[in-house]
Amino acid sequence: MPAYTSREQAVSVFSQLFEIMLEDDAFRAIVRDEALSVRFVHTEPDFELYVDAEGVRVDGPAAPTTLAIKMSCDTADALWNGRLLMPIAVATGRIRIKGSVARVIEFVPLLRPAFDRYPALAAAAGVPTSA
Amino acid sequence: MLDTSPAEVAGPPTTSLPPQVGALRDCVRTFAQERLRPEVQRLDRADAADFDWDLVAEGHRLGLTRLVISRAHGGLGHGELGVAVALEELAAVDAGFALVFGATMLGQAPLLLSGDPALQARFLPLFSGDEPVLACNAITEELAGCDLLIPENAQYALDVMRARRDGDHYLLDGAKKFITNGRVATYATVFANIEGNPGASALTCFVVPLDSPGVELGAVADKMGYRTCLGTEMTFRGVRVPAENVIGGEGGGVVINVQQMNMARAAVAAISTGVARGALDLARQWCGERIQGGVPLYRHQFTARKLAEMSTKVDAARLLYLRAAHLADTEIPAPAYEPAVAKLFADRIAVEVAEEAMSLMGARGYVRDWGMEKYLREALGARIYEGTPEVLALAITESMYATDDDF
Repeated sequence: MPAYTSREQAVSVFSQLFEIMLEDDAFRAIVRDEALSVRFVHTEPDFELYVDAEGVRVDGPAAPTTLAIKMSCDTADALWNGRLLMPIAVATGRIRIKGSVARVIEFVPLLRPAFDRYPALAAAAGVPTSA
Repeated sequence: MLDTSPAEVAGPPTTSLPPQVGALRDCVRTFAQERLRPEVQRLDRADAADFDWDLVAEGHRLGLTRLVISRAHGGLGHGELGVAVALEELAAVDAGFALVFGATMLGQAPLLLSGDPALQARFLPLFSGDEPVLACNAITEELAGCDLLIPENAQYALDVMRARRDGDHYLLDGAKKFITNGRVATYATVFANIEGNPGASALTCFVVPLDSPGVELGAVADKMGYRTCLGTEMTFRGVRVPAENVIGGEGGGVVINVQQMNMARAAVAAISTGVARGALDLARQWCGERIQGGVPLYRHQFTARKLAEMSTKVDAARLLYLRAAHLADTEIPAPAYEPAVAKLFADRIAVEVAEEAMSLMGARGYVRDWGMEKYLREALGARIYEGTPEVLALAITESMYATDDDF
């Protein structure tokens, strides 16, 4: 059974996740100072999130971003819930990233707080915890 | 000291490199030609276990031990492209010296791939001190080499090093073989199978400081080439490793291994390209000086054809590794196809070019004092590590039949 039953549900949870991240002064400062922009390409259901220091936009601008990260919503759910480790997901191709690998190496550790925030967000949206 | 500002990632370089990478290449080329070249004969004839820490320290001061480490951790923040062009320059003079640094980067790779800030903060700054620090990546064993690299083979791997959970630690037992830098590294990224699982089906990566109780460093292999770096046996007897030193979780070892190999193959292709270039340079010099029939050798049509073919092969190998390195710098996971193609081709033409260069130099090519036969010995080495031609062929054909969704 897929973790997300509708596009609206998935957009809501993942948008909130990165909006919360951007409320963190340190995270926002790094994103702004490093001029980071990230396009999260989610599939099943399909949608894109555009994240930069200005905020989170759904199906955001087509402009090139620093990084583009693609994964299914099931993979995203497993990742942020801690059931799937990033190195495994990357190595097996369940998460695919385009952009400067050097920037990825700097960016990925910044996402740590998302692992703490996601389970409660997903649960509140009715996403089954054992999906 | 090199400029530490980040290298720009542009399109795949063909005739020119990004400025930061070009500056790195020039700096390493000067070091290789002026400092390393005069020492090559001595290094090649030294005992198998000899290691020149002074020269390595000079390389460390150039930044060669921390090329791929982020600036936040004291590194230079280069990608695979910078690594590859630097290693070509070193290998054009001495492939073993290039591999000292290549193996260190391979020891760093699982930490970089982990995305684990705590592990990175503990181990990566080690490489930014005044004294040189080296690392190694311990995979190969007496009965298991390729089986630890091909996921489908992992369950059949024989007698793999074991890891057993013991509270908040793991206990490692087993032995590794032919580990470059094993004798001189500060830590190793070690691959062991979780006890109770067949073969290497639960292969797991650990960071292990090599001064840990129970680590024993054994004999250094007496190799026909690559004599500047040390291939070492390593034995682990009940070595206690904290659980937080696991990279990628239990069972994540095979995929980490595959991923780091895809990253490393562009660099090894660059080493082979460097070996071929070194042999070509010597042959070109000889054929320009040696007079036969009243003209330099290169004026003879048959010799000219050989030199032209050799030069074409070196150029093609370089273009293939530049493409592979560029993709490894811009895609995660690193692609399998392009690095494998680059390494397969470069490893092959290194042998061909070195053999042809030896032939062009006649008897002098066969005499150690002239330095040519060393290139042939070293050309043969790269066909073994980071993927034999047979393993590369599997990776290439897997990619040929794969489907992609154009992301």
